[in-house]
Amino acid sequence: MGGAAVPRVRNYVLRRLIVAIPSLLIASVIVFVLPRLIPGDVVQLMLEEKAYGKDLEDLRAKLGLDRPIPVQYAVWIGKIARGDLGESLWTRRPVIGELARRLPVTLTLGGMAIAVAILVGIPIGIVSAVRQDGVLDFFGRSAAILGLSIPGFVQAIVVILLPAIWWGWTPLQRFVELSQDPAGYLLQFILPAIILGVASAAGIMRLTRGMLLEVLRQDYVRTAWAKGLRERVVVLKHSLKNAIIPVVTVLGLQVAQVAGGAVIIETIFGLPGMGQFLVDSIIQRDYPVIQGINLLVVVIIVATNLVVDLTYAAIDPRIRY
Amino acid sequence: MDHRSLPPSITRRDVLKASGAVVAAGLVGGASLLAPETARAQTPKRGGTLRLTVISDPVTGFDPHQTISFVTMVPLSFVYSRLVKVKAGPSVKPGTYPIEPDLAESWTQPDDKTYVFKLKKGVRWHPKPPVNGRELTADDVKYTYDRFLTIAGNGNKPVLESIDRIDALDKHTVKFTLKEPNAWFLDMLASTSTWIIAKECVEKFGDLKKAESVVGTGPWMLERWEPNVRLLYVRNPNYFVPGLPYADSVDMIIDKDPSSRLATWLAGKTDFGPEYQQVVRRLDLAVAKQRKPGLQTAEYPWFTSGATGFKIDKPPFNDVRVRRALSRATSLAEIFESNAFSRGHWVPNPAVPAASAEWSIPIDQLGPEGRKLYEYSTADAKRLLAEAGYPNGFKTQVETPSTAYGPDFLDSVQVTIKNWKDAGIDAELKMKEYGAFISTTIYGKFDHMYLGLRGAWTDPEAYFYRPYMPGQPLNVLNVNDPKLTDMITLQRRTFDVPKRKQIVYDIQRYLAEQGLFGVNGSVKVVSAWDPYIKNFMPNNGFDFGGRLMAVWIDK
Repeated sequence: MGGAAVPRVRNYVLRRLIVAIPSLLIASVIVFVLPRLIPGDVVQLMLEEKAYGKDLEDLRAKLGLDRPIPVQYAVWIGKIARGDLGESLWTRRPVIGELARRLPVTLTLGGMAIAVAILVGIPIGIVSAVRQDGVLDFFGRSAAILGLSIPGFVQAIVVILLPAIWWGWTPLQRFVELSQDPAGYLLQFILPAIILGVASAAGIMRLTRGMLLEVLRQDYVRTAWAKGLRERVVVLKHSLKNAIIPVVTVLGLQVAQVAGGAVIIETIFGLPGMGQFLVDSIIQRDYPVIQGINLLVVVIIVATNLVVDLTYAAIDPRIRY
Repeated sequence: MDHRSLPPSITRRDVLKASGAVVAAGLVGGASLLAPETARAQTPKRGGTLRLTVISDPVTGFDPHQTISFVTMVPLSFVYSRLVKVKAGPSVKPGTYPIEPDLAESWTQPDDKTYVFKLKKGVRWHPKPPVNGRELTADDVKYTYDRFLTIAGNGNKPVLESIDRIDALDKHTVKFTLKEPNAWFLDMLASTSTWIIAKECVEKFGDLKKAESVVGTGPWMLERWEPNVRLLYVRNPNYFVPGLPYADSVDMIIDKDPSSRLATWLAGKTDFGPEYQQVVRRLDLAVAKQRKPGLQTAEYPWFTSGATGFKIDKPPFNDVRVRRALSRATSLAEIFESNAFSRGHWVPNPAVPAASAEWSIPIDQLGPEGRKLYEYSTADAKRLLAEAGYPNGFKTQVETPSTAYGPDFLDSVQVTIKNWKDAGIDAELKMKEYGAFISTTIYGKFDHMYLGLRGAWTDPEAYFYRPYMPGQPLNVLNVNDPKLTDMITLQRRTFDVPKRKQIVYDIQRYLAEQGLFGVNGSVKVVSAWDPYIKNFMPNNGFDFGGRLMAVWIDK
């Protein structure tokens, strides 16, 4: 992008941000209303099987759940405007504090898993495409099929349980805070990130291979070969750039897949992230927490898509905003 | 497990008999928590950290008056005390629940409706703000139970609903006046929901949901809560039982995944079996014994069991023969054969679960019709259905929670439905999300039948008072049988334990005779602990802290 492109990009980003406001408002209505449509009631869950009718009404009033839904929504959205996501109905802890504590864990896990997907998937995809139908291609595709076929939770259980049964050893360790031990903090994510990233890596590998094979058959690539350019230049400079845009798009979509997978991986590896928190809050009908997490996810997805769109221009100069 | 060396348990009755009124101070002290043989054989070692896993975070917060959940009550058992408690230690056979003093030094019962408790002197709160180690007084007891009975949202209120008023007579004396005689009152006071709390904490924090507000008089202090990671406790330097606890700290690891809990234990990172109540699934027992030579175990029936509900005021379940057919068509042996916890080791339950060893009637002492309920026979079930006017069986619908009770429960549902189908009862399965199940089905909002679990209560009376007493919210079958009501009322007013036991047996005979519950059973679980863990004995109930305070580590 040249100097003239900068204002265009800035305007584009501003337009996207303005468009995002009604999207977020609509999303806020959905994330507020949907949890309340799930059968079951937080008050009855809190008191389980031992409650009297008056107790239920008293607690409902105490939590402000006896007011009409539009009133509850107005109160909530008013708080959001002031940067307050409310309190957990169960623990009375501020939702924003809970998210601030858990979000870095999930972002670290998700970020490392995406990194695994990129660092493993793209190189193997390139090698497979360049050595089509060779031994490396065969092993690369077999590994990808295996990665796609074995669910992450099975891989995780095998990795955790078998060494414990055979040798009395397990890779599990107690969660280490970043402030306590930065290296230990990152180390504890390596295994879960690899397991979480494997399925994405497999998908990325197959897509990279397919797209690259298509590009490698283009006339301009044949011209590049004819000019005597080195293989590295032909593949990485002239071919990969044109093949990678769909891969980047899919990488953006992988964020949602990784977030879904993180729920299980966080539980198995005892990582106190947002995935586990969201599942607990849904089971408990902890409305402020469900709303807070979902709103955050919406913001992250909107932001990710914006970044992906901006990346297109960086990869392919023909794309204009 | 060999119980031959165990001394006889001290029962509530023994304590009551001790002096006409009660003088129980001699039971107090660390030494009383040791089995005599154990105490002679080994000298307790102080120090070290007890490491165990729990299956859930205290997601409901820490206020004992705002939840009934074990995920809160188990962590609180390390921190708080009660007036009386269920005795713990190797001298207590699992499945028995003898009462002993906790904060109470002694108590008297001047009449059927009055209890006067003398508190131990010099009991101090944890040396933490805002209470800062002040002495516990009778006002604390009164404050606790007044709050217990009046705060909105205390699902455990029925536990103490028979209290009319509480008076602090002096600094160390508190009087309870009941609305009516209640022979189970001491058992209810020993429930793991009756923790004595400090007024200053409620005043400072508004409620007791936050970890900072957890200040008690129990053996350990809550040092840190890392949500979804761990609860760390350290010794209470002022604990009122001299010498206890033996361990310096308790590291309670929160781990929701059964595989990682098992792996953590097998790898030596925890000291106790990985499931609730330190249980190891029988499926994993052989591996555990192989990896841990000298592993200590105890086998006992779990309280948790299946629960079958049906609409007895509607056809076909208004006919006792249909209800009996339902039980006769159910193969408990088949249900417990595949269960990962039981692998064929189980006990049949009458109305009061077998885990309440002193109050559950043996099946062979039920009446003839009651005994037959437990004899699986598809042919007899078909015959009963035919006699009731359903020679070709009937169709019905059964509601059940979809996930919360785990895969073993869902397996048991499948087996049950298959059994019923063999007898001609074609039950369509209607899965409900747990929250929906709790908020509708469990309160009686179901059309035909449900299959669920029961077992949250350790007091035996709860198993017939709440489901069968008119007016109780959990009487979802709408039972209003004057004969049954009279028996339930009478047992509550009968202080003579053998006589009360006979009435409770009669109630169970009557309930079985009338087929007012579907037959069910409980797993005989295996609790396990590492060879270096000494003076531990598991039992049912949430009082993990009470059972661990006299445990020591011999490494």
